[in-house]
Formats: sequence, structure tokens, C-alpha cells
Amino acid sequence: MTSQDNGSKNPAAKLLGRKRSPIERVVPSEEESSSESEQSIVAMVKEMETETTEARDKLIHECRILLERDDLNTLDKEFHKKFLDSPFSHQLPPGMVALDASAPWLLYWVANGLRVMNPSWLERETQRRIQEKVFRINPHGGPFGGGMGQLPHLAGTYAIVNALAICDNTDGCWDKINRSSIYNWLLTLKREDGGFQTCFRVGEYDTRGVYCAISVASTLGLLTQELCENVVEFLVHCQNYEGGFGGVPHEDEAHGGYTFCAVASLAILGALDTINVEKLADWCSQRQYNDEKGLSGRSNKLVDVCYSFWVAGTAAILEAYGHGNCIDKAGLKEYILKCCQMTTRPGIRDKPGTKPDFYHTNYGLLGVAITENTFQLDPSVPNALKINSSAINPDDNSGLESINPVYGLPSRDLETFYKHFK
Amino acid sequence: MEGYEDVSPLPLDTGFKDELCQIMYTDEYRMVVGTARALMERREYSERAKELTGRVIDLAPAYYTAWNYRFDILMHLARGNVELLNQELEWIDEVTLNNPKNYQIWSYKEAVLKNHPSPSFKRELPILQLMLDEDTKNYHVWSFRKWCVLFFGDFSHELGYTESLLERDVYNNSAWTHRMFVLKNTSPSHDHVLEEIEYVKGKIELVPQNISVWTYLRGLYENFLNANYDDEIIQFTSTFTHGVEEEDETDVNVEIESSCALEFIAHVYALRGGAMTRKAINAYKGLATKYDPIRKNLWELKISRVTKS
Ligand SMILES: [Zn+2]
Repeated sequence: MTSQDNGSKNPAAKLLGRKRSPIERVVPSEEESSSESEQSIVAMVKEMETETTEARDKLIHECRILLERDDLNTLDKEFHKKFLDSPFSHQLPPGMVALDASAPWLLYWVANGLRVMNPSWLERETQRRIQEKVFRINPHGGPFGGGMGQLPHLAGTYAIVNALAICDNTDGCWDKINRSSIYNWLLTLKREDGGFQTCFRVGEYDTRGVYCAISVASTLGLLTQELCENVVEFLVHCQNYEGGFGGVPHEDEAHGGYTFCAVASLAILGALDTINVEKLADWCSQRQYNDEKGLSGRSNKLVDVCYSFWVAGTAAILEAYGHGNCIDKAGLKEYILKCCQMTTRPGIRDKPGTKPDFYHTNYGLLGVAITENTFQLDPSVPNALKINSSAINPDDNSGLESINPVYGLPSRDLETFYKHFK
Repeated sequence: MEGYEDVSPLPLDTGFKDELCQIMYTDEYRMVVGTARALMERREYSERAKELTGRVIDLAPAYYTAWNYRFDILMHLARGNVELLNQELEWIDEVTLNNPKNYQIWSYKEAVLKNHPSPSFKRELPILQLMLDEDTKNYHVWSFRKWCVLFFGDFSHELGYTESLLERDVYNNSAWTHRMFVLKNTSPSHDHVLEEIEYVKGKIELVPQNISVWTYLRGLYENFLNANYDDEIIQFTSTFTHGVEEEDETDVNVEIESSCALEFIAHVYALRGGAMTRKAINAYKGLATKYDPIRKNLWELKISRVTKS
């Protein structure tokens, strides 16, 4: 089908400030004279080609072609399994040294992707090797750094705790976690205003650090008043005028990743009512584009499959807490399946034109799980640890494990894990 | 390794034969990072140790442990030595240019500036400009720029700077949010806010379908004008919606200039309530059926909310 058919099929396609007629003029560069007549031309033209529209137009074109195809309608789990099995059976090439401080993330992304697709795909032997590596990185049971001899880090500790949560307490690994050492360390990272620094002395200081700290503390049963003091205030101040959240409380631009971290933390702390939920829902919904159907992480930025977790996960949390569903799950699923799977190579990619990687594969899979379910709190235990999900359409379903959007983990695993520390 | 002959590098892998996700390190990497680990373990705070952390960062900029260790070394060596801190800032700039997407640089730089006896915003401006010229929406750079503005208490360059970026790309949401950051921190006069609204209207006339600018406009009203949307702004907005909000049934043949304008006007009418509620509902129905249908769920939530109230 040609792109001309799109206008009639998708009524909104004409809208986005560029479909009415071809580009008439680009922004004048500085060298060009900006005489009055030229200025008035600019003012009359309602469409303007900039870096933003150029990149987006190209992507829309690619997505359109893919969305019209019929061969990628289902999640090819067996195919993606091959991709995720590889780092558990082969060494990673030297070029991956950029991830040398992210060993915990690799373990979590890969193991969790397998687990979400099919619990038995994370084999007992692999679970054993995960915990073996983790407790070699820190023989004292935490807090954890990004690899051998690396300093403890909030992100590393979060990723390792999540990775252990899906290991079924193999070899008693849950009992090897040193909760008191992690707790004391968390306190050293906390600042007076309620934020957490990712690493002692020098480290980022943003909602991501807060989420890693609060998530770990909540699953390990360490969520004390002392640890939580002022955290809600810190997070509340990260919501900016757009409705989403920035990284820090100084009116940073709203961003999908930081928004998720703030909202998930607030859910854990039982404080979603302290923010402007309506504006947050507006912002989440603005992230979805009619043409690509996927979600972007910021206004006027391109769609990217990882926001199927960061932003759609935020929306799922709002849904669980009774604020309704603000995104088009069916549309998003179409974007993930058709635009981010490839017939030629396994794994899930960020967007057309990019290659699959472990990060986008894990969050793409979590995204599919979000699009196929509705989320609600357990009325008996109104707690972020216990969010239930039910399939929207049991007949057309990828058969993924049901997941908890606050933690990015299969609900079943999360439940046995946190109950272990009660 | 030359200059480090007295140090035996520490291992980087766990030693398990079947280690998961094991990276095939090059010999150079094992040598450099392993030696740095060994020096760190001995708490050596020397010039050569600092130099070595630079080599680690060169090979793996995200290796945060090297950044932390380097900071400790610097603090030991620099006691009162401004020259050394200045050299460090130069070094950071170089690393920044080579690794524009790196996470660690910014908190490191903040820490160095905080420990510098006479830090200067003037010094930081050119590199910030260069970085944002290259990548106009780089989140970390913008966030660091905000940190600098607050740290140095100097807002004087910011509005002019964002103006030039919006001239180049009116869709640059980072630049719009930076303007709001400036306004919210500088308590603008009423006249200044009105001027800003005129500026925004000019940008909307240029490109009406631009979510960043409409969100910003709403932000101005909410933050500085008590969300008092005057008739003039409604009038202005309706020039982009072609009366869709007036019709109880959406006419699928009507094209509009901007779905963002329709969203904006719907919000304003919903706020006004009373007889205006009908117009809000019309606008939301239009958005749901034709002008922004992927967000149908949200529009329906809005309709049920305004109907109830
Ligand atoms: Zn991504």
C-alpha cells in the first residue's frame, strides 16, 4: 500500500502540522538576510521544517510501512529467547565494555526478559550462576556495585535485588542478602531534602536514585520512617508544569524515565494523592502519537519502545490506583510488535532503524505485558507490592507472565520474594 | 605498565569458568582497570593514580568507580591548589566533548565546582553552548545548565539563549521548559508575563501544531495568572480550531490547524464550567473521534469528569 492511502485510513494523519502541503520554507539560517519580506513569509507559513520534524517525518514514514504489514502480529517469544540466551552461554564482545559498570543491569534485563516470557526459560542452573556472580561481586551480600571491585551503587543494587527476586531463592540466595548493611548504606546516601545520591561522595542525585532506594527498601522490608522522611516532598517538587516529572526538583524537563521513577516511588510510599494526577495523566497520554502509535519520553521527541514501560508503566500505576487508563494499549502493542520486532534478527529494538539490545528487549516485553492487561490494587492489601492484573483479551494474548508495573517484575516472583522478608 | 611496575593489577572477572554476561576484556583494559583497582585498594592518592583514572574513563566513561576515585585523589592533591582544579575543569571539558551522552560527568563536574574557591559561570558558558549546539535536547546538559544558573545565581543569559534555540527549532521542548525554569525562579512582573504570552502567541502563529508551546502557554497561566484565562486568549485559540468546540456533533470533514489548540480550549471551557461545559465536551469529542484519536481514553475520562461536575 502506498502512503497516500493513509490519510483516509487514519483521520489524524493529516493533522500534525505538515500534511496539508509540502514544506514551503525552512528556517532562515543566520547568514541569510532576514529582510522584512522574508520575515512575513515565515510568519504566513504554518509548517516549518526543523531538526525535530525532519527526524520525525522519517520515522513516521518507516513506521507506516511496518504498521501496514501483516507478518509481525504476534510476539515471537521463541525467537527472542535466542537473543536473551546468548549472553548466558557466550561471552560478550570487547565492544560491550561500555557496560562494564552495568553487569547488574545485564543480569536483570536478560533474566527478567526470559522469566516474563516463560518462567521455565530462566533455568535453575542459570539462577544458580546469577547468584554465584552476584555474591562474588559482593561477598558480604550487598550493597552492590556494577562489577568486581566497583563501589556500591544504587542502580547496581536495585538491578541485583530485582535479578535475585526472580531466582526462586536458589541455593538460599535470598538469605545471603545483607539487609542491615544495605539499610545503613541507604541512609548514608540520603540527603536532608529527601533525595538519594546514587553513589557515596560523587553520584547523580535524582528521582532515579530515589526509586532504586525505595524499591529495594520496600521489597527487603526496610522501609522505615527514617528512610522515608522528606522523600515524598522531594518527589512532589520534581513534577513540573508539563505534568510529568524531571530528574531533580528544579523545574527540569518532564521525562519518561524520571517520571516513572517518581510515580513508582510515590506509589510505594502511598502518596500518589500528593501530586497533580490529572496533569500527569494528560502528560502520559500526550506521549502517544497517532502515526507511530508508540510512546515518546518527552514532548516533541521520537517514540522509543522503552517508554512502553517507563510511560505506559506510569499509566498502569495510575490505572491500578483507580485513576483510569489514559493510553491506547492496543495501539501501543501494535507499535511494539510491528515496528520493534524484526523478522531478520531476534530481540526488540528501540525504533525502526536501530538494532535490538537487552535493555529494549526487557522493557519492550514488559510493555507488551502492560498493553495486554488491566491493573488494579488488591482490595485486601492496598499496597504497591500487590498490584493485580487481568487479561484484557484472553484469546489474543502473548501469554506473558503478569507483571507488577511498579517493580518491573513478574507479580508471582515479587510476591514470594517480599513475603520472604516479612 | 610503565610507571606502575610496582603494582599488580587486580582481576576484573569473578574467576568462574562459566560466568554469566562476561565481557571479553582486551589486555589493555585488564591492565589499566586492574591497576587502577589495585591503586584504589591501597588508597594511593597520587598524580599517577589520577592520570590512570583518566585512562580508565577514556576506555569506559561509565565506569563510575573511576570517577569517584578520581574525585578523592583530586581532593587530596588540590588542597588550596586552584591551578590543579582549573586543570581538572579543562580535562572535564575534553572528556565531555568526547562523551556527550555520558551520565557521570555532570555530577562530577558539580562536585569539582563546589570545591573550587572561585568558580565562574563565564567559564562554563562556552562549553554548554557547544554541547547544546551539537545536541539541542541533551537532557543532562540542560539539567546541568540549570544547576549552574542556580549555583551561580545568574539568570541573565538564559532567555536570550533559549530564544535563539527556538528560532532554530520551535519544537525544542527543552528550550521551552528552560524558559519556564527561568521565569519561575525570577518572579517576573505582570508586564513581563504578558510580554511572554505575546512571544508565545507569535510562536503559535508560526507553527500551531506544537505541543511544547501550548503546554508552556498553559503553564504561564497556571503559574503566574491564577489560571485566569481571559476572553482574548480564547479568541486567539479558537482561530486554530475552526469552531469545532461549538458543534455538538463532530463534522469529520472539518480540518483544524491544531489539535493542541483544541485540547487547550477544551481545558479552559471545562474550567469555566456552567454553560461552557458543553463546549468542552464538544472539543473532547472532536479530539476523540477525529483530531487526536489515539488519546481517546483520556478524552473520555475528561468527558466523564466534566459531566459529573
Ligand atoms: Zn529507549
